Amino acid sequence: MKRKTVFWIVLFAVLAALGAGTYLLRGGVGRRAVVTVDGEPYRTVDLAAAVVPYEFTVETEYGWNTVRVSPGAIEVADADCPNHDCVKQGAISDGAVPIVCLPHKLVIEIEE
Amino acid sequence: MSKTRKLVFMALLTALELTIWVIEGQIPAPIPVPGVKLGLASVVTLTAMALLGRREAGCVLLMRIVLGALFAGSFSAILFSLAGGALSWAVMAGILGLFPEKLLWVVSVFGAIGHNLGQLLAAAAVTKTPSLFWYGPALLASAIVTGAFTGLGAMYLVRALRSYETKHTP
Repeated sequence: MKRKTVFWIVLFAVLAALGAGTYLLRGGVGRRAVVTVDGEPYRTVDLAAAVVPYEFTVETEYGWNTVRVSPGAIEVADADCPNHDCVKQGAISDGAVPIVCLPHKLVIEIEE
Repeated sequence: MSKTRKLVFMALLTALELTIWVIEGQIPAPIPVPGVKLGLASVVTLTAMALLGRREAGCVLLMRIVLGALFAGSFSAILFSLAGGALSWAVMAGILGLFPEKLLWVVSVFGAIGHNLGQLLAAAAVTKTPSLFWYGPALLASAIVTGAFTGLGAMYLVRALRSYETKHTP
């Protein structure tokens, strides 16, 4: 292999490893979930306190999302958005990836 | 390549890219992380850029995005497609001349990084949630892997089409 090819392979391998590493290391066990609509905090949920699973509905001018809270995890159970990406994502239990419902400008994040 | 031949070729590439894009959208993502997908359709964009030129690739990509939004039936996502597509195209168009054809996959990786960055910027702007940028490293890693894969695909496709073209040009 040419030296240039090796250079790019090594550079990209290191970058990919760094990116994946940062992403995986950040995802610790979360306690609080913050629901944000249009950049404004909508509701904060204590995940540790949710011994019994429950649901609540976020209804805004953009549409509605039904959020299901279970011990240590949170998910969007149903929504009237066109693509249902937020529902398909399933439950999150760490700060690694937020749930984002773009059509409704809704974000659910877990804080440490 | 004559004008008509070029037009037909561009139309074929658009149809090909649209088909790949629609079919890929129907396959559930193997990794349950939003925003992570292979992006096979970009093979066609990069092939168009290497064989025809930057402007022609831009046309093919833009047509795929507009038609794709129509075919998928949701226009709300077109903003993200456009943001990702525009940045990806700009990055690849800017650096294409700097790399020999053997390193076309490097151009593709940078294009994929541009695509994911564009979508992340659009998502952060629409939701007004800057903390979405924490998601950047994961998207960077995924862009490198998928970009290298689609770039290699484009490289072999360019090679095959070139040899076909020289053999069959009337």
